[in-house]
Amino acid sequence: MRRRHILLASASLAALSREAAAQQRVTLNVLTAGDQNMVDYITDYLGPLFQRQNPGVTVRAIGTGPGDAGSQRIWERLEAQRRASGTASVDVDVAVVHQNMAGRMVSEGMLSRYREQSANGGLATSAVTRNALGQDVDGFVMPMFNSQVAIAFNPARVANPPQDFPGLEQWARQNPRRFGYNGIRGGMSGVGFVFGWAYAFGPDQRRLIEGPFDAEAVTALTPALQRLREFNRNVTITPGNAGTLDALNRGEIDIGPVWMDMFYTWQAEGRLSPNLRLVLPESGLPGQPMYYVIPARAANNDVARRFIELATSPAVQAEGIVKRFNWLPGIDAQHVQQHLDRQTWDRLFRDVGPDQLARGARPMPQADFMRAIQEAYERVVLN
Amino acid sequence: MQRALPYLLLAPALAVVGAFFLLPLGFSVAGAFEGPQGATTANLRRAFELYRTDLLFTLVIVAAATALIGLGAVAIGGYLTLGRSRIALRLLGAMYRWPLFIPFIVAAQAMRGFIGQNGLMNNTLVAIGVMPQEWAQSFLDWRGIVITFVWKQLPFATLLVAGAMAALDRAGIEAAQNLGAGRLRILLGIVVPQVGRNIMVALVLSFVTMMSVLSVPMMISGQSPTMLTVAMAWRINALGDYGTANALGLVSCLVTGLVAWAWLRQSVAERGA
Repeated sequence: MRRRHILLASASLAALSREAAAQQRVTLNVLTAGDQNMVDYITDYLGPLFQRQNPGVTVRAIGTGPGDAGSQRIWERLEAQRRASGTASVDVDVAVVHQNMAGRMVSEGMLSRYREQSANGGLATSAVTRNALGQDVDGFVMPMFNSQVAIAFNPARVANPPQDFPGLEQWARQNPRRFGYNGIRGGMSGVGFVFGWAYAFGPDQRRLIEGPFDAEAVTALTPALQRLREFNRNVTITPGNAGTLDALNRGEIDIGPVWMDMFYTWQAEGRLSPNLRLVLPESGLPGQPMYYVIPARAANNDVARRFIELATSPAVQAEGIVKRFNWLPGIDAQHVQQHLDRQTWDRLFRDVGPDQLARGARPMPQADFMRAIQEAYERVVLN
Repeated sequence: MQRALPYLLLAPALAVVGAFFLLPLGFSVAGAFEGPQGATTANLRRAFELYRTDLLFTLVIVAAATALIGLGAVAIGGYLTLGRSRIALRLLGAMYRWPLFIPFIVAAQAMRGFIGQNGLMNNTLVAIGVMPQEWAQSFLDWRGIVITFVWKQLPFATLLVAGAMAALDRAGIEAAQNLGAGRLRILLGIVVPQVGRNIMVALVLSFVTMMSVLSVPMMISGQSPTMLTVAMAWRINALGDYGTANALGLVSCLVTGLVAWAWLRQSVAERGA
């Protein structure tokens, strides 16, 4: 009789512990827009780190593709699950999205407000933490990293690179086809250059960045775009972000707009001449962050917040974002600096220092202007 | 039951075609006329307003590549049929099919390294002293797209054309040779007229294939104008604008449909004659 009791008690204990273990086992689904390096970052670095610190949690990273289309796919997934009746939660716990889509998701009530509860919420104070292309996103997002477009040049052929857009215009006229960029259909470094041109030669830079949208303001850009059409006669159009770097490396062009992180990564990997340098015109070139967001009905909201806390901690931002991927940190740089050696810090700000960044880095235009300027480019510059 | 059996056997295939081809095609066509406020022609108008130059560019590029493919296929097929050097025949016969097995995107990537300003072609020509460095120029523009299309599609067209030429009754060719006709004369006067239908099939299929290629124009040339496929991808990826992309797709379908219709009409006329 006693033996039977002991057996029963052991069986119950085993069942209970199995249940407890099952409750602790969590699969955290992280959907990320962007290139393959975004998936690699989570799969190879951030995910294993989080799993080590949180036994029982498995991080599953899923890439949805580059550019705004990747963010669009995440929105489509969330929207489909919102429309499906009878689903209490969605199968996306953390998403990494572009600014445009973050703004839309906030306006449509798709996201959870988490930054105030996050231990690192106060470490990110830049404007992009509160505003995404004109949409208030304060509290709903944490920047994963910042990326910035700058002008790369070959010092062997250009001793004094143009420091502003009129200077660049004159240089291109004097050196036909030695400036190259990828237009607007070949990647965001070219699109960023066009926005920089609109900021420099348009009548109201602030309006383009902060909104509100006004079709008249787009029409007012026509003279600037006509000037860009003339400028384009003297330039080489490259086939993409990488195409500009390739052309610089092969000596086919001497100057061109590039993403700073791509530039430094290629140099670190030996794919780009170490002699090439960067400059950031003061009238400004745009950059953009990627955001960590948590869907409003995420199944594992608390774990997701802890994951983002780790991802935005100064140590991880220093090691993962800056050291391994050459991105600018998502949280304020001063919190990251103490975790970086002098060499890495100097490499990150070698050509474009924090002061230059503060003067020349701009957000992308407000979402409606962003689209309208690209269409205006097609209408005025390409036709 | 026996009467229904053929239809029952056909049903799965028809269902697959209907569900995975006709239905999406229908949605795509309908999407070209959809706007936020209901049915509209705004997408088509926007497509023509912004991309008419791209449409013309696409037609010129694909037509030029098709013409060159036709010439190349007839030339290679003709030599394989009428050539006399055994070594050359073996070499050509073995080599011309190679690009057939290489995907467009790989061909485009290879061309990028080959025909760029400082690519393998120019560097080799400069290194062996055929050309000074200053003459080196990039072919990564419309010329690069045509070169890649021809390189990639020529084996396919040649396969069809050379096969048809090899199947011809050689009596006519030999009779012409006995009467003293040159090889070019035999090719143009006797061989080509007999394989005209095969040449047309090869060219129509090549035309339709090239109309739908995105990777080559995207990787070879970032310039504007560009091909419609790039414009479609850009409308979707950058702007999430499926309406205009559908309108551009509809225009592409109409162009390829027109080519297919012209070919079918000619085939029917030939059969009737």
